[in-house]
Amino acid sequence: MTHMVKFSSIALAVLLAGTSGIALAQDKPNLTIYTYDGFASDWGPGVPLKQGFEATCACTVTFVGADSSIGTLRRVQLEGDTTEADILLGLDTAIAGEARATGLFADHGLSLDNLVLPEAWTDAQFVPFDYSHFAFMHDIDTMPEAPASFEELIALPDTIKIAIQDPRSATPGLGLLLWVKAAYGDRAPEIWAGLKPKILTITREWSESYNLFLEGEADMVLSYTTSPAYHIHDEDDHSIKAALFSEGHFPQIEVAGILKSSDQQDLARDFLAYLASPEGQQFIPTTNWMFPVVDLGDRLDPSFAGLPQPEKTLTIPEEDITANSAAWIDEMLAAVQ
Amino acid sequence: MPETNLMLTLPKRPIRIAMATALSFAIAALIAAVLWAILAAATDASGHSRVDIAHLLRMTSLQAGLTTILSLLVGMALAWSLNRLRFPGRDVVVSLFASAIVTPGMVVAFGLLSIWGRNGWINQLSQTLFGIGFDSPAYGLSGILLAHVILDGAFAARILLARLDSIPATRLKVGQSLALGPLQRFRLIDWPAMALSLPGLGAVIFLLAFTSFPIVLLLGGGPANQTLEVAIFSAVRLDFDLAGAVRLAVTQIGVCALVIVLASAFSPVPAALGRSAQPRWRDGPTTRLLQWGVLIVSVLAFALPLLSVLYDGIVGGFGRIIAQPAFWRATATSILIGTASAALTLGLALILALGRSAARHPLARTSLGMPAYAYLAVPAVVLSLGFFLLVRGLGVPTGLAAPFVVVGANSLLALPFAMATLGPPLDAIVRTRGKLIRSLGLTGWMQFTRIEYPLLGRDIGLMLALSFCFSLGDLGVIALFGTQDFQTLPLMMYRALGSYRNNDAAAIAALLLIGTIAAFVLLPRLIERLAHAGRR
Repeated sequence: MTHMVKFSSIALAVLLAGTSGIALAQDKPNLTIYTYDGFASDWGPGVPLKQGFEATCACTVTFVGADSSIGTLRRVQLEGDTTEADILLGLDTAIAGEARATGLFADHGLSLDNLVLPEAWTDAQFVPFDYSHFAFMHDIDTMPEAPASFEELIALPDTIKIAIQDPRSATPGLGLLLWVKAAYGDRAPEIWAGLKPKILTITREWSESYNLFLEGEADMVLSYTTSPAYHIHDEDDHSIKAALFSEGHFPQIEVAGILKSSDQQDLARDFLAYLASPEGQQFIPTTNWMFPVVDLGDRLDPSFAGLPQPEKTLTIPEEDITANSAAWIDEMLAAVQ
Repeated sequence: MPETNLMLTLPKRPIRIAMATALSFAIAALIAAVLWAILAAATDASGHSRVDIAHLLRMTSLQAGLTTILSLLVGMALAWSLNRLRFPGRDVVVSLFASAIVTPGMVVAFGLLSIWGRNGWINQLSQTLFGIGFDSPAYGLSGILLAHVILDGAFAARILLARLDSIPATRLKVGQSLALGPLQRFRLIDWPAMALSLPGLGAVIFLLAFTSFPIVLLLGGGPANQTLEVAIFSAVRLDFDLAGAVRLAVTQIGVCALVIVLASAFSPVPAALGRSAQPRWRDGPTTRLLQWGVLIVSVLAFALPLLSVLYDGIVGGFGRIIAQPAFWRATATSILIGTASAALTLGLALILALGRSAARHPLARTSLGMPAYAYLAVPAVVLSLGFFLLVRGLGVPTGLAAPFVVVGANSLLALPFAMATLGPPLDAIVRTRGKLIRSLGLTGWMQFTRIEYPLLGRDIGLMLALSFCFSLGDLGVIALFGTQDFQTLPLMMYRALGSYRNNDAAAIAALLLIGTIAAFVLLPRLIERLAHAGRR
């Protein structure tokens, strides 16, 4: 017993020493960025962006990964003025309205007129850093012909199964909800009821449903029009395609914002400027597998070049999303339950 | 009443009871502080809860009740077979069963799907052989039950096997000389040995199923099959309705507390305890055939999903993942945290279990047993959030507190399993040897070092393996406290999944599984050897 106690206290001391060492080695200013796990991972854009920005700023960049993008917002809301975060990175336009309403974000003060996005960018607080349209994936080896609209999808036999995400926990899940709403308005419950027999399962996160699709459990999965680029680039697999729907597609535009409470306003602004510049944007496509928000020209990886893109982008005004998303989620859950 | 006489022979251990009581209060206070911290942070008390609690309770209780009954039945059948049969690789099979409970739910769920899914081995085999596929049972209520019974039935079998293995040889000899048939033997010898563990085990399994989250969401098929835990998650995450989340959490704690009290109220069946012996008493050929049948079906059902995880990982990106320095950092962090939480769990479980076994009054026993389950009753999202707020409230930077919180939270998470492992044998020791201990006038410390510790060797090893692996597989606590520099293997696996790196994730999952199985093979043997060396 005593040995055990001694050992555990030593182990704890070692653990403590490990982290406090990190905390103390900071003579340079530190820029703390809250983001979601995938962005902060060893494979994500966080690593090259940190290296690239630190080479110019005489500062240290620290990414803190939370389990989801909405999780980062909740964490900042809980921490309030005492948050260590200078920047919150990874919200999308569907939840930007709610984030704005918290009053926690400062104006970025950047002029962002050279951006290439599905819509012109005028937001005073949030800086976009990548985008893609939501779409259902299919594998041409097992499903050569994909449906070309929600109605065609509904008309398929019920043995065709799709995996989608819960709009309460995953941004793509919320994105699909808004997509159906933007395309069908008051007919949305009817579309959901039609989709119900096709839904294999509704997962908590994107990664779980995408896995179901890759394992062959689901014939289609809600993901992004840019998802095939990963398979082309990393696996030389050209069989995974995004199905284009004639109704048009709803985009996910990911954004970053500076917190009012940050004492590194200038540094934070510099980082966002870097993030939205061609230098920062060059890392985005092959790490986050989304389109960059600037024209990278030849530097855009060829795996993105041939990706078919929707002709029509659907939108819903931010105020409408903020005011109605709770009611729309209830509507969807009632229809698929 | 013989029960009362036994009670009278209990040695008086006021220090043990005092320590256990203090710890119980500390855990209760911690839970209260967690809920209070969230309520204090709830700025908007007008939160709108859009949840049909009655429906959720009905569905969740049905699912958890079925899971409990099925898991206990399967666990008993499997433990019975494993106790009788000897074959090469038995230890690995036993460890494989035990490792299911601590493997991240997501990993097991995907392993399960690769066997039972629409595109799983069974369906493919059926397509090839008979040209017919079938509707996968892996989704909906049947999918949830299948996954839960695989996880919890295997865990139950491991715990019950430990009980059967410790039936003293003398008892078996008497039974043999009376020429008991297999049924009589089960009723008179096996059942009393296992029955002592059933209420506690049942409570743990019920709580696990009741609060199950990722499996229910992945295999449940949709919002129709949900748990209160999901509603709480949604209240915290989507609506930011903290007051509502605390209300829901209190509902869940209430239901779980009821289950725990009911389970603790069953009066324990006294059982003898001693060293396990090689079985010299072989059952008849029919019975053995049945045992082999149970074992083979179970191995196929339980081990195939785990083997498929191993296979995917090894075929996937083994080489690529072990070439990364980040992988080794995450491994070191995981091992350090696992070791620290296993040690802490052992301390906490011993204090509670020793105090509980020394208590006479059933009410005192119940109240000393309850805190162990506290962590299972409180929703994970509420706990991690509450811990996070508490740490911040104390003015400690979260980065600095992270290792301590992760270790502490993981220990509490493993505590009910530790208590289910150590509680029954400690009770049995006191009940069967209390008179001897009293007549020798042993002090509490001598009682522990001379009698309890040597007899508990294997159980302590099993308990350490359980809590080490729980911590190794934890994803709930680390999710809120992890950073780029502080990550464990499960967090790294999850991040790989979120970056399309499914092969890397599969490789990490396979390595986690191998580490888990190794811990279950090695730790109980090691500790048993240490315990015996201490007696020499």
